[in-house]
Amino acid sequence: MPISKTKSWPLAIKLSLTITAVVTSVGFLIGVLMVVQDWQRFHTDLGEKALLLSESISITAPKAMLRKDYWSLYLSLKNMASKGPGSRSEHEIVDAMILDANGLVQAHLHPANHPIGLLFSPQNEVDRAIFEQAMVVRTPTVLSSGDFSRDGFQEGVVPLFSDQKYLGVVRVRLSVASLFEKIKSTAVIVLLSILLFVIIGSLLGTIVSRRVVGPLAAIKQGLESVGRGEMTNFSPIPVKERDEIGRLSVTFNQIMSELAEKKMLEEEIAMSEKLVALGRITAGVAHEVNNPLAGLLNCIDTLRQHPNDKALIDRYLPVIDQGLHRIKDIVHNLLVGLKIEESVEMISIEQVEKLHDLVLAEIGERDIEIIWNNATDKALFIPGKTEQIICNLLKNAIEIIPESGVVHFNMHQEGIHLVIEVSDNGPGVASTIRNQMFDPFFTTKPNGTGLGLWVVYRLVQSMQGVIEVESEVGKGTTFLIELPVIQRQAA
Amino acid sequence: MRLIFILLLLWITPLYATDSLTPIRFGLTAVVPTENLRFLDQWSHYLEDKIGRKVEFVQRKSYREVMDLLESGGIEFAWICGYPYIQSRDTDSLQLLAVPIYRGSPRYHSYIIVHESSPYKRFSDLKGKSFAFSDPDSNSGFLYPLALMAKKDEKPESFFRQTFFTFNHAETVQAVAEQVADGGAVDSYIWEYIAVFQPHITEKTRIIRKSQSFGFPPIVYRPGVDARMVKQMKLTLENMDEDVSGKELLNRLKLDGFGHYTDSLFNEIRALEHTVQSAFTNRTVVQTD
Repeated sequence: MPISKTKSWPLAIKLSLTITAVVTSVGFLIGVLMVVQDWQRFHTDLGEKALLLSESISITAPKAMLRKDYWSLYLSLKNMASKGPGSRSEHEIVDAMILDANGLVQAHLHPANHPIGLLFSPQNEVDRAIFEQAMVVRTPTVLSSGDFSRDGFQEGVVPLFSDQKYLGVVRVRLSVASLFEKIKSTAVIVLLSILLFVIIGSLLGTIVSRRVVGPLAAIKQGLESVGRGEMTNFSPIPVKERDEIGRLSVTFNQIMSELAEKKMLEEEIAMSEKLVALGRITAGVAHEVNNPLAGLLNCIDTLRQHPNDKALIDRYLPVIDQGLHRIKDIVHNLLVGLKIEESVEMISIEQVEKLHDLVLAEIGERDIEIIWNNATDKALFIPGKTEQIICNLLKNAIEIIPESGVVHFNMHQEGIHLVIEVSDNGPGVASTIRNQMFDPFFTTKPNGTGLGLWVVYRLVQSMQGVIEVESEVGKGTTFLIELPVIQRQAA
Repeated sequence: MRLIFILLLLWITPLYATDSLTPIRFGLTAVVPTENLRFLDQWSHYLEDKIGRKVEFVQRKSYREVMDLLESGGIEFAWICGYPYIQSRDTDSLQLLAVPIYRGSPRYHSYIIVHESSPYKRFSDLKGKSFAFSDPDSNSGFLYPLALMAKKDEKPESFFRQTFFTFNHAETVQAVAEQVADGGAVDSYIWEYIAVFQPHITEKTRIIRKSQSFGFPPIVYRPGVDARMVKQMKLTLENMDEDVSGKELLNRLKLDGFGHYTDSLFNEIRALEHTVQSAFTNRTVVQTD
């Protein structure tokens, strides 16, 4: 499976970054909403305040206007605007005036610039627009500078009536400057809170991700050591809480400890098996070598006592010779089984064909039929060890047949494999002893050494081959061997 | 029902019986600085100590209201302007008690003032401008500028663009200082008084015309007040400069003392009124509602 390019950021960083980002954006959004809402509320409040102030002036203004009591009108504006030492008003009145129906100034908070009895003169375009609006309103209205700036204002405009006759208008203008300051400080507080949120969020993120990722990292490490096959030096993940991660850790710890136990058990079994095999070899060697040795020593004793007895010498020497040869064979086969040399000697298929004759000679007078079928290429060369395998298998088959029987020999090529099949119709192998067949010194034959099949097994193993046995009691046994040797020859 | 009636009788009777406990009511107008309540308390205590009767200062917004109180018997004494004095004196509805002595004489002036930054140099420069009068019954604050216009054959409505009354000399100074009015007419004594205690206000004004001298706003009493009490009050006031606490109080008022003067002190105001009256055939012009 092709692996696409993956991002290599650790989970802990990604998690805490994500949490921080979420906290920051949520905090920012709430902050902006708060500031905007605050501004709108304050702005509306300011308009209402301006209107309230205008209305307070408008109560007494009509009477004073009719009496041309400009001084009272002026004082009412001035008193409204003046901030006493205990004044709690936080809004600056930037402008206040009373105009008559024609726009003539009746009173103005800044009389020097707006003399009474003269037409009100707006200072700028915004002023003019507001003035024109103010002169046409006939119900209390809030007029706004409209723009969001320090110089903005909210103006309460209250038309004056006396007996339903329009007399003029009261205008009170409040500056938004203090609002601006308020909003600014709110924004600073919001920003600081967001910062605090970010710090807390990051810390929380780090803690959470450590909490989550810590056990995961330990599990990952554990799995990696399983992959390397080191299960025993795994230290269990500490379990602090009984949540999903805690339970995962517990389960993982259990799996790991069971794996480690299993591995240890396997190693113990392997060790005891080795000891068993060693014991069997030792016992076999002792038994096989000791048996002839007793007879040989006996012969040598007898010969020593009768050194000049020719008949005894003639009788015992062959016995000694036979016994020593048997010991030599045993040691040789044992050496073959224990120490397989990496032999590179190659033989031709013809060599195998010679085994046919050898086996026939071995059979001698016995009623055993050999059905020989060699389907391999005659020019094929195979490792020399193959000859020994085939020889041992054929010998084994002949020896196992009690009186008469048939031995099949088949050999052919399958790709790189040389397939060898040797079967007999002997007594077969009971399933109870089938797994001991290839053990050294294990034999069912009265004169067998128990090393033949063991040597076959070791040779096949050394050639990375496969050996299979099919056997049924009373019907016979078939050995099937596949050796991956053809490739080597072809090369 | 009968019981209540008896109780009422019991309650009402002492009011008549204890004449010495009823306070002497003393009307004050804007001819004196009247905002300082602590000073007025001290002064009333001083007078109480000397006379042996409780003295109560009564203040009203306009001269007219104080005059009405005087005429209706609501007050016994009053410190009024020379102009209402001559109007009422000539009909014998009040009597002259004492005249304050200011800077050595019982006389004062009218100041025509403008804002210190304004270009106006003469009274005639104020034509077409706004003007603040003090009180319609004030000599310095109304009659005098009216006479100035009368000499030019002008009326306030034609001479000025806008006019208004502040009913208070101090507020006239304020109106000019704050440029609500381009010019104003004030009592010289009040202007100088403010110049001492609140110079930052008078510094914003400039005197462009000082009138001839007039009789200082006098202290009067209404006919019918007990002669013994009148005498006591007159003596007390005239002797204020002879004791420490009296001197202290006079110093607070920035006056030298109170003196005995004759009615002829106010002849200049009579002449001024004559000038105005002959110019405006209809006297109601100068009246406000």
